[in-house]
Amino acid sequence: MYKQNHHADNDCNYKNGMLPECAPLAVPYVPMQGESIPQYNPKEALTRGTLFPGLDLPWKNVVNQTGAPDTPLGELMALGFVIHELGLYLDTHCDDTEALEMFNRYVELYEEGEKRYVARYGPLRQMQAGGESYTWLCSPWPWEYGGGMK
Amino acid sequence: MFVYEKTLQYPVKITNTNPKLAAIIVSQYGGPDGELGASLRYLSQRYSMPFDELKGLLTDIGTEELSHLEMVGTIVHQLTRNLTESQIKTAGFDAYFVDHTAGVYPTAASGFPWSAASMAVKGDLIADLTEDMAAEQKARVTYDNILRLSDDPDVNNVIRYLREREIVHFQRFGEAKRTRWKKKNRAADNMIQPRVIVKNGSWLFSFLGYHILQIERKLSLLVAVFLYDLGTK
Repeated sequence: MYKQNHHADNDCNYKNGMLPECAPLAVPYVPMQGESIPQYNPKEALTRGTLFPGLDLPWKNVVNQTGAPDTPLGELMALGFVIHELGLYLDTHCDDTEALEMFNRYVELYEEGEKRYVARYGPLRQMQAGGESYTWLCSPWPWEYGGGMK
Repeated sequence: MFVYEKTLQYPVKITNTNPKLAAIIVSQYGGPDGELGASLRYLSQRYSMPFDELKGLLTDIGTEELSHLEMVGTIVHQLTRNLTESQIKTAGFDAYFVDHTAGVYPTAASGFPWSAASMAVKGDLIADLTEDMAAEQKARVTYDNILRLSDDPDVNNVIRYLREREIVHFQRFGEAKRTRWKKKNRAADNMIQPRVIVKNGSWLFSFLGYHILQIERKLSLLVAVFLYDLGTK
């Protein structure tokens, strides 16, 4: 029913999606995002607010230049963001095996990175706060100025 | 359940204090199209959603909105750091200050406190998802307007990020509304009026009655009436 974007004609690229050829009346439609579409790398994705260039529609074409800092937490934030973004994509494209593989790969990277981060800088979740001392309360908290920059 | 992760979704680091801007941006914390309403709208709509992909999508986007609520709260907090005596008298912020000092309170920029009347849970798939798409657009426009009013680059980075998320959510809600249509080939009628299940009688009646009905409707009607009588005695 839906042609994939990359097989479609030139006038239907990654910025366009497919609409049903013959759709029931009285139901609103949004074009379905195709599979195998271009993607930003994790850091760029977090900076711009989406993994998908096709959905990247900035106000007055002004684009963020800086996103996550070049720190271990910044890298983790970028990976976490991409996993979440792919998760939302998979919620409506659960049969896309390529996206699922990518999801699995990023989860693996995230888990490795998280282990290293927690060992060095402290817990991200309360269950990681045990050990020799209880580290959950250590400042800064994320909303404080300079928090979340490690 | 929910587990707190001790990090923001996108970093917020605002160098300059600006109470007037804080009094505008607080609208995305507790205003009519703000992140508090967004998270409660989606997380509350989940319960009546008939399909797994909709339960998942509303859970995931509703959870993300909670992290956006935290980011907007962080902006308001950092914009009102180390206020001087003259800064608290800033026109536009003084009215907020008299009630909330430098606390972060869910209110619209107009001063109207957050209200559940600004969101809807209709219990119907098409009505709720259409509401959600409109909500994402209204939030996007509010962020457009903040960008029109703010010239602080530290703030605008975060606002541009949040604005882009609204666009992605709109796309996903729009796609979700037709995944069933795609799978079942034009079975859109099923999703326009999801069946309302009304339970009558005892659990025994519901359970046995349902299974017997599958086998032979006419016969089971008699049995079901019999079971219903048993169950209510």
